[in-house]
This record gives sequence, structure tokens and C-alpha cells, in this order.
Amino acid sequence: MSATTEQSLDRAAAAGPMRRAKLPEPTSVLDRMGKGNLLYVIPGLLIYAAFVFFPIVAAVAISLTEWNGLVVPSFVGLQNYIKLFSDHEFYVALRNNAEFIVFYCVFPLAIGVALAAIISTVGNRERMALRTLFFLPYIMPTAVLGIIFQWLYNPAFGPFNQILKAVGLGKIALPWLGDFTWVLPAVGAVAVWYFFGFCMVVFLSGMQRIDPSLFDAARVDGAKGLQSFWHVTLPQLMPEIRVVLLLTVIASIKSFDLIFTMTRGGPGNATLVPNIYMYELGFQLNRFGYAAAVAIIGAILVFVVNLAIHQGIRRFDRSSN
Amino acid sequence: MLDVLIHHLRLGAAGMATAALAVGLSGAAQAQTLVTWDDYTDVGQNAVIEQLNKAFVAAHPGVTINRTARTFDDLSMTLKLTVAAGNGPQVTKVNQGAADQGTMVKQKLLLPIDDYVKQYGWDKRFGEGVLARMQWSDSGQFGEGKYYGVSGLGEMVGLYYNQKVLSDAGIAAPPKTFEELLADADALKAKGVPAFAIGTAKQHIALHMLTGMEQAHIDASSRKALDDVIYGRGGTFKTQAALDAATLMQKWAKDGYFIDGYSGIAGNDAVQLFVSGQGAFLLDGTWYFGDMQTNPDIHFMAVPAPAGVSKPLTVGGIDLSWSITSNAKDKATQDLAAQYMDYMVSPEAANVWAAAGFFPSSTPTDESAVKSSLLKEGLAMWKTITDNNALGHYADWASPTMLKTYDDNMPHLLAGDMTPQAFVDALDADYQAYMKSIGK
Repeated sequence: MSATTEQSLDRAAAAGPMRRAKLPEPTSVLDRMGKGNLLYVIPGLLIYAAFVFFPIVAAVAISLTEWNGLVVPSFVGLQNYIKLFSDHEFYVALRNNAEFIVFYCVFPLAIGVALAAIISTVGNRERMALRTLFFLPYIMPTAVLGIIFQWLYNPAFGPFNQILKAVGLGKIALPWLGDFTWVLPAVGAVAVWYFFGFCMVVFLSGMQRIDPSLFDAARVDGAKGLQSFWHVTLPQLMPEIRVVLLLTVIASIKSFDLIFTMTRGGPGNATLVPNIYMYELGFQLNRFGYAAAVAIIGAILVFVVNLAIHQGIRRFDRSSN
Repeated sequence: MLDVLIHHLRLGAAGMATAALAVGLSGAAQAQTLVTWDDYTDVGQNAVIEQLNKAFVAAHPGVTINRTARTFDDLSMTLKLTVAAGNGPQVTKVNQGAADQGTMVKQKLLLPIDDYVKQYGWDKRFGEGVLARMQWSDSGQFGEGKYYGVSGLGEMVGLYYNQKVLSDAGIAAPPKTFEELLADADALKAKGVPAFAIGTAKQHIALHMLTGMEQAHIDASSRKALDDVIYGRGGTFKTQAALDAATLMQKWAKDGYFIDGYSGIAGNDAVQLFVSGQGAFLLDGTWYFGDMQTNPDIHFMAVPAPAGVSKPLTVGGIDLSWSITSNAKDKATQDLAAQYMDYMVSPEAANVWAAAGFFPSSTPTDESAVKSSLLKEGLAMWKTITDNNALGHYADWASPTMLKTYDDNMPHLLAGDMTPQAFVDALDADYQAYMKSIGK
């Protein structure tokens, strides 16, 4: 793209409705009541404290103990965390989770953006139909999806392998959920199928927000379809990309139901993720203190990864402005 | 029409049998509610336990049973925590071994039942080798000390074979020795017939197959080493029998002796495939009798022993035990709980279980109730095993984490990316770590 085009885009962006207006001072009756408002917040705060804040504090406290769930926990300080960082299975779970992030975030995001760009060019009625069609997987509970896909992948009864065998591709009709190489991509593919429609809908909404004059300016400057997408659509979609990344990263780090229903972390530990490891430690092996430590590290991971995404996108915003 | 008539006659007969059982039960009870938990969630088992509960209530006027049924996993997950919180059952099913029963005994969540064992003669009704699976000493030693439960259903891991598949492959009779089993497997493989139906994605067929072959190499006369390992007295998983079984399993998996795609197939699905005619053999337990009996070509026998082993061990034991929890606070409730347990493990209850095709731990008094040929084969086998003191053990009872260790390593063994020696070493490492944790 030429320098002229970029300057035009900058001017258009500066002049357009993208600039935020200053918010008016609070003037409602409730706002004028000042601290008295706290009274109205207390019920919500109490519920939050009982069901969110207290469990978090309790989990932190339990993670500092050795506890089988039956007797009084014994305080062990940071022993659980020290053990965790030398626990091979925990690293396996983290590595698997990192690989799952590709399937939960990167692929759905890429497919979602591409599909949104294509679908935004078709007529309203077709767009509505396609948007509904692609969004459908997202309305299903992932546990149900896991059970359905477990059957679809079944080497003996499942239609995937039946079709492969019927078209002469029997050699690649693998036991997908029992194969160490393919099990993680096989489960990941379901996550891609689940999330890409959601990503696409978010991006379609974002595209409707983009000022058309930006595309006009790009066209005047000679930008073709792909160039417009790359230099106009994608940068303008950064707020949506940030939201999608945050949500899908959180979903991938807290992934449990889809993997549990499909493989229970197996074969071996090929699809073990921290949440399944936490479940095994707590509810199968009665090591609640150690399991709580896994949960706390998982929560910290969510914060750290999301902070990194925030920072990365903010840096990108600054550099592109 | 005839079917409907027969169905009604059967229902009538079942009703009369239930009424007869109710009349036969003795013991007056006060007006009270007995809270019970069990794991009979399977449709067939649920029908039997409901029938037995009704008979018990009918014989104990004023008694109400408040029953909760949970799957094995759910029961294991919630029982300890619920009883520890002072809620839940007064009499419950509980899995034997260190993870559940051992933990609950240690925390005094289960009550010793030695007085009731004598009162009801459970020690005479069941062999000592059976009751030992529910004994715990005050120091936490498994297999000795006080009794903490009794069980109404027996279990054995054996060899299912499909005679039609064998005959079609030119094999006239099932193997009599372990060497013949190996030869049959080779012959089937040579003819392109999968020798074994197995599925490793879920359930534990591979574990039962491996330990079934391993323990068939142990003669009852030299079972002490295995007993010591399972009862937590010490020992090792690094035995030649274990290594040989692991080597054989890996070879069979690698060389195509198993049904196609076995690693992506759940154990229950493998059973259905076997019933439908895939595979000549399947090594697993009597709990699949209900599924297997739909194919009359399928039979059940002990895993054949190698030459030189006359009384081979058979992996197995008993169903989860009935135990009295610390929630049964007063003597009256404990007595009522014991009466309930006695009825659940009585020969009368065994008749009802056997009539429904399930495998009772005590011999049914009504032989006409046993209609399934598989059950007849199983009962004959059970008698031989108890006579020979040859009931082996579930290896995963050896430590609280052993089942997970098997589950984690078995797929690697079968996929060939773990040597049989490394597999056995991993099992032993788990066991020795547990021994160390309990000060042995």
C-alpha cells in the first residue's frame, strides 16, 4: 500500500466517529446519593463473597495444606507448589494445554476472521443464514459434543472411519482417540468446530462497526480486496480480536468437559490438561491440597496469559497509531 | 400373545417369590428409616435391589429404606466426604482396598462388624479368603484384624470364548492349557481372525487381561507373595510372571492379535463387538454375563494355566462390600443395618440375583433359578476356585494410586513406546512409594 493511502486512512480515522467522546459527569439520583449507594450493592457483594471470593481464598488456603478431605488439613506451607514444579505430569498437562490453545484460539480466530470477511460481502439474507449455520455448534454444551464426537470417532461404529473405508482410505482410518499422535488434534478439531462460529459472529459485528469511508479511501488509493482486508479490516477489528482471544484463551485454560468426555486425559496422559489433573488428584486420589495448588496455578496462568495478550494488543495499537 | 402370557406368569412368579422371601425373613424392627447407598445403577441390578428392598421392608414393619443409587465412580467420589460431614448412608456399598474402604476405616467412618459376622455366621457362609478382603487391623493392615463389610456378589476374571469363531477357524475345543491358548491365538492370527476382542479407550479390559494371565501362572500353594503385596505387607511387582504377561500383551498388540482399532474402542464396546462375533477370546470379568448371554456360542472358563500349575489363581473377588457407617449411631440402627446386610448376602437373595443372571457370592439354594448357561459355568468355576483357595486379587487394590498407574502406562506398553520392563518398573515404583508412605 502506498504512503498516500496510509495518510488518507490516518486522516479518515482521526476525523471519523471512532474517537471517543468525553463521558458526562454522573447526574442520576443514585449517583448523587454517593456512599449511600453501597447499601444497594451489599446483597450482590455478599453473594459474590460467598460464591466467588470465599472459594478462591479457601482454595489458596487448602493449597497450603495436605488434606484428604476427611481429617483436619495439616499446614505444609509451599510444599505443594514446590512438588508441583518438579512434577512431570504437571508439565505434560501444561504442554498439552499449550497445544490445545492453538485449537481453541488460533484456528477458530483465523477461520472466523476469514469467514467473516467472505460472508460480509454477500447479501443480507444469505449472511443471516450462514451466520446462523456456523454459529449453531456454539449453542451446544461441550460435554454433549464430546460424547457425540467420541461416537463419531469410534473406529468400530463411528461414521468417520466407515466413510474413509468406503472411499478406499481404510489405511488412514485410525483409532483417533486411542492414537498418541492424533488424539490431541482429534479433540482439538472439535474445539475448532465449536469456537469458529462464535469468532465469526463477533468479527461480523465488528465489521459492521467499521466506517465505510475507510474502505472508500483505501479503494481510491488503489487497494485491492486482500490489501483492504489486511490494512483496514484487520486493524479495525483489534478490539474484537482482543475479546475473542481473551475468551478463547480462558476457555482453553479452563478446558475440562470436552476432553473429559472424549478421552479422560488419555491415552496415557496424551490429552491430560491441568483441570483434569486437578480432578484426578482431588476426587480420585483424595489429594485435595495438591489439587488446589494445581487450580491456583491454573488461575494464575489465566491471568498471566491474558495480561500478555492485553499488553501485546496494546503495543500493537500504539505502533499502528 | 403367548409371550405376553408367559411374561405375566413370570411376573406373578416373581411376585410370589418376593412375598415368600418376605415371609421368610425374621426379626422385628422398630419404626425407623435406614439410609442406604449402593451402586446398582444398571437397569437389571436396580430391579433386583428394588425387589430385595421391598421384601426386606415387608418383613420389617415400620422400617423404611431411604435408598440412593450412584455409579461406581460417583459413589467413590462422594461417599467419604458425605459420611465425614455426618450425612449420607447408615449402610452402604464401599469399594474394598486402600483408596476407599481403607481410608474410611482409618478415619473411623466405618464400624467394625465382628459381632455380626459371628451372629449371622458370615464367616461360615463365605470362605476366609473372601472375608479377608474386608478386614483391616487397627494399625491399618489390610487383610487382617476386624471385619468391615460383607459382599453379596462374587466376581471372577476369566476367559470368554466364542466356540463358533473357534470352530470356523478349525479349532475344535477351547484351550486347556496356557500353551494351547498361545497356539490358538497364533492359529487365529494366521487365518486373519482377530484372536482377542479388547478395547482400551475406557474401562479396564487390558488390566484384567494382563493380570488374569499373570495370576494364572501362580499356583494357589504359592500365593503368599501375591497376598502379601495386595494386603500391604510388602513385596514387589517385578515378577517374572508380570514381565512375561506384559511382554505377551505388547507382542499381541503390535502383531495384530487384537481387533482393529482397539485403542480407540471402549471396553464395553469391545464386549458388544465380541458378542456380535468379532474376536475368538475376551479376557474379563463375570460382570459381563448379562451382555454375553445373548450369544449362545459364548462360554466362560478360567484362564488356562501353564504346565506345572495345577491350581492357578483366578483374578477376582467380590462386589463392593456392604458396610455400616459411623452414621449408624445407636445400637438399634446398627442392628437393623446388620439385618439388612444379612438379607442382602443371604442364599434367598442369591436366588434372586441368580434368577436375574447375576453372579452371587453365596451359592443359590434354588438351582432352578439359574437359567443362564454362562452363570452355571461361572458358579461351577467359583466352587472350584473357593475349594482350591485360588481366588486371586485385583492388582489395583495394592495402593491407592495403582489403578491410575496402570491406566497411565498400559497404553504406552501396548503402543510399543514403553518396554515391558519399564512398565513393570513403573508399577513397582508406585507400590514401593506407597509402602514407604505407610512406613514399610
